[in-house]
Amino acid sequence: MTQQTTQPSRFTFRTLLLLLVPIVLLAGVIALFLTTGGGLDLRSAAPVEDLSIERYILKRNLIELQVRNTGPEELTIAQLAINEAIMPFTVTPDTSIPRLGRAVIHINYPWSDGEAYGITVFTTNAIAFGVDIPVAFVTPQPTGGTFWGFTLIGLYVGVIPIFLGIFWFPALRTLGRRTMTFLMAATAGLLIFLGIDTIAEALEFAAEVPGPFQGIGLVGIGAVATFLLLDAISKQQTSIAGSESDRRLAIAFMIAVGIGFHNLGEGLAIGAAYSVGEIALGTFLVVGFIIQNITEGLGIIAPVLRDRPSLGRLAIMGLIGGGPAIIGAWIGGYSPSPILAVLFLAIGTGAIFEVVYEIAKLIQKDTQREAMPMTVFSGVVTGMLLLWVTGLLIK
Amino acid sequence: MSAKITRRDFLKAGGLTVLGAVGANALTKTAPDHSKHESKILAAPALQHDGHDGTLPGTVGEVDHEKNGFNPTDLLTDFDEGEVSTLPNGQTLREYKITSLNKNIEVVPGIEYPAWTYNGRIPGPTLRATEGDRIRIHFSNGSNHPHTMHFHGFHPGAMDGVPGSGPGGNVQPGDSFVYEFDAEPFGLHLYHCHAFPLARHIAKGLYGAFIVDPKEGRPPVDHEFIMVMSGFDVDFDDANDFYAVNAIPFHFQNHPIQIKVGELIRIFLVNILEFDLINSFHLHANFFQYYPTGTSLTPSEFTDTIIQGQAQRGILEFTYKYPGMYMFHAHVTEFAELGWNGMFEVTE
Repeated sequence: MTQQTTQPSRFTFRTLLLLLVPIVLLAGVIALFLTTGGGLDLRSAAPVEDLSIERYILKRNLIELQVRNTGPEELTIAQLAINEAIMPFTVTPDTSIPRLGRAVIHINYPWSDGEAYGITVFTTNAIAFGVDIPVAFVTPQPTGGTFWGFTLIGLYVGVIPIFLGIFWFPALRTLGRRTMTFLMAATAGLLIFLGIDTIAEALEFAAEVPGPFQGIGLVGIGAVATFLLLDAISKQQTSIAGSESDRRLAIAFMIAVGIGFHNLGEGLAIGAAYSVGEIALGTFLVVGFIIQNITEGLGIIAPVLRDRPSLGRLAIMGLIGGGPAIIGAWIGGYSPSPILAVLFLAIGTGAIFEVVYEIAKLIQKDTQREAMPMTVFSGVVTGMLLLWVTGLLIK
Repeated sequence: MSAKITRRDFLKAGGLTVLGAVGANALTKTAPDHSKHESKILAAPALQHDGHDGTLPGTVGEVDHEKNGFNPTDLLTDFDEGEVSTLPNGQTLREYKITSLNKNIEVVPGIEYPAWTYNGRIPGPTLRATEGDRIRIHFSNGSNHPHTMHFHGFHPGAMDGVPGSGPGGNVQPGDSFVYEFDAEPFGLHLYHCHAFPLARHIAKGLYGAFIVDPKEGRPPVDHEFIMVMSGFDVDFDDANDFYAVNAIPFHFQNHPIQIKVGELIRIFLVNILEFDLINSFHLHANFFQYYPTGTSLTPSEFTDTIIQGQAQRGILEFTYKYPGMYMFHAHVTEFAELGWNGMFEVTE
């Protein structure tokens, strides 16, 4: 015991030197490589360039492209064509864009509402990069009107359905223990379904992230870090002790946080979809959407049904779960970024699966008192099927 | 469209309906107009038309003609009549020296195209002779690909410049060959490389005009211009990215051709455009006499628009009645806005 504790703490000058040896050698290898090429012929036959056209902004008679150089070296924009017509343009700050640098291309162009445009950007090496504008309309700018519009979206897709779900609280708390366990299991099923959905969306966005930012890696980091962080927080709370009802309340809050992140990602997607003009119509879909997301509210209150949380706490949980949809809609609408979307969705994934893990522990406590294997099974499957079927009805 | 609909798609749809119902009016009404605050365009085209919001299609900047080694305006009137001597039998001999060269050409400002050229220019030299002259072309291949010169006109098979026709049909890098034949029939013709793969060899820039004047000559005019219509596929996807007459897109839009009211203009128009099926020429505010292939001295049509397939060519003759700026361009309008657009500036 004493040996183990003293040995690793001895940090001498010699240890430092030994630690530095590989680093010094590495520097040598890099220097050798940079000066001699290490015997490899690393010149590429053709220039490798990559230009990410991250966003377009349409104003009257003006198109702006936000671009980022995601290639290995500096590149220069030479010419530009819109719908098979070479158009003059300006670039701020400069036509030459350093690696990972950003620039904005401005094109005076009399575009028409509702029409489609294809833009091709040529670099000086005659490499073409394209972006499609499927439906042209003035990109929403942050004004009072649009702000309120995006707020309403978030309200309808996030806040209202969750509060509707929470309104089941008085009815559900009259149910028996077995039914409550069933509801918890259903919540777990619901969350598993949402978690899978969230990670699928995270991966979808990750594909849009420019190469150097490694979207898939971001998904992994966001999800794993969130899972472990929430786990650590939960363990800390357990060690601080408190009553079992406090613990259930904490889990309800964590479910709200997980669903909140999920809704933040959804708000982002909706806002971004609006700002690029992917408009689909149908009030039927809004109604369907409210039906499906009502279950999220149900999930939040499931752990605290046997307790008596204050109305204020329930309201806060509802806001935590649904409110982020509004924030997401704002961010997605005004400044959509696939990197942000990936991060939020990854955090949502981690949070949701951690909450599933917490619920599983709660259910285990219940089932230790009274074995009810079929209740858990049917609950989880019911939860998953609930989302699947409501989704089916709507699509 | 993918048939896969995710939960998010569904959410988008739902959310957007709400926005559409509540916020859309506000969105469209309140969006500010920023167009007036924009900075100036780098290089405004010489063209001054009203009615647009300040900008017409065109390239940004100017190509380096000196580095390219040719200026499309100079090519308009650059006729190469060869080195003239008389053969023992009294026949006129015209000798030309042509070398195929790899050369980077700045086709639009900022973009260099790794072209293949005759004598370092696109189009190649406009060879001009009179019907019945003996043509002798000393062709050397200074590039790193096999090339040939294939002429349209009468000549023996061995002078056809196509693979399988003998040494002239596949001139290796560093080798040379002498193409020799009599210039006939009179008309407007062309020459181009016929090495495999043919489409690429033409698209890369190996073509030029070949004019055979009738023995009695053509009626005199005030200006003769040679215009070769072609395109550039700079990203090698077998589709043209830019179009032009005399190689450089928008050149005659930015540098209008200067002529005077009442002057008789003759244009030798050749289409060698690769990848696209047709090309065309449309003259604004005017009509022209058209002599297809230039093989007759009687015009076949009085019109303002003609269509040419690849290797079709013809002679146009016209006069402007009024001063002003007059456009000429491919009435395949897509080509016009991708560079095949020019102007005549007609003065008193």
